[in-house]
Amino acid sequence: MSFVTQKPLELILARNLMSALSTPAFLVDEGGLLVFYNEAAGMLLGKRFEELGTVGPQEWGSLFGPFDESGEPIPYDDLPLVRAVRAGRPAHAELTVRSTDGSRHDVEVSAFPIQTPHGSQGAIAVFWPSLAGGNGMGPG
Amino acid sequence: MKVKLWGTRGSIPAPGPETIRYGGNTSCVGVTLADGSMLALDAGTGIRCLGLALPDEPTRLHILLTHLHLDHIQGLVFFAPAFRPQTEIVIWGPASPEASLRDRIARYISAPLSPVEVRELPCDVSFRHCPESEWEIGSARIRSASVSHRGPTLGYRIDDGDSSLAYIPDHEPALGADLEALEEDWISGFELARDASLLLHDGQYTDAEYPDHVGWGHSATSHALSFARRTGAERTVLFHHDPLHSDEQLDALGAEARERWGELGGDAGAIELAAERNEYELPARAAKATATA
Repeated sequence: MSFVTQKPLELILARNLMSALSTPAFLVDEGGLLVFYNEAAGMLLGKRFEELGTVGPQEWGSLFGPFDESGEPIPYDDLPLVRAVRAGRPAHAELTVRSTDGSRHDVEVSAFPIQTPHGSQGAIAVFWPSLAGGNGMGPG
Repeated sequence: MKVKLWGTRGSIPAPGPETIRYGGNTSCVGVTLADGSMLALDAGTGIRCLGLALPDEPTRLHILLTHLHLDHIQGLVFFAPAFRPQTEIVIWGPASPEASLRDRIARYISAPLSPVEVRELPCDVSFRHCPESEWEIGSARIRSASVSHRGPTLGYRIDDGDSSLAYIPDHEPALGADLEALEEDWISGFELARDASLLLHDGQYTDAEYPDHVGWGHSATSHALSFARRTGAERTVLFHHDPLHSDEQLDALGAEARERWGELGGDAGAIELAAERNEYELPARAAKATATA
């Protein structure tokens, strides 16, 4: 018998919840690989997840940034989502993401790890419009 | 592998003349492996009759609990072999960060809910959390996985020779998800049921009833059929009947399920409703299970 490499139930449930949210939300697995983002996030980035699929750190960075306040790309390992999954602690940051049309959006990101009886299974990040404005996210 | 349904009802026992054909006992399935090892899947009130059918001789058996809702454990204190010193029982179930499996079951097998305590059971009983990896019981390989339901809940897959049984009695894989569109690895319980010889799956609600029960942890008929189609199970038995469903209503539900399965391109004979005391034999090398009532 050969099994598919099924996602942990906690990630499945997280994706189901995120799919119903109007707030941009991102999901990474226990290895820090981006495995899902919802429609609201797709609107922010200009590309739906179904079009992009699972992406690794390098592709993610080249597509969307993100950038710090000085405009420098933020290393994947320093993103709140990745910090959350690796440290098992919540993380928060202000950053700028670039959508596929080239526009930039200032956002605040809150990320938290998904801890289960079997250990960390990944992390969720939710994007909020930056209070500084000019993010183009709408009401979120 | 031989499979016998001792309790097919969900939520609460539903005895009475209107449920006599499909049965009123809550979830319990007896499994006899190729080497003679015995398993009980869940310990709802159906396990009482399973216990009465076992010979009064030294016995070792394994009880695999999907979760600890009352309709899956209520029969434990009425399971006759548990009151025989010569019986060895191993109870498997989901882990919880809150308390051990033994302590959580003891909340039911203790005063004031029960006349006996776990420590008073005459049998040799032990409790084990299901491991994350596959393990062996007798001639079978067992695999468990968390599935979408309320609280820590497992589904099981039992592979014995070339035949396989998937048991997911309480399952709402369509909660917030489109089962027809999702990738396989994102479907709750998929790997348990993939290409199973026999799938026993939650089919508690009709499609018309489901909207009033979203999030309760159970499937509508169409969800169960989608799950069966996506996983490629050879034969599917809809299980965990709603206690409000009479035999007549279940007849209608079964007819509708078979018709829709046919519309999906499946063999209408590969879908049926669970009925108490139905038996299935899963030969070591056979394309389909054979059912006898």
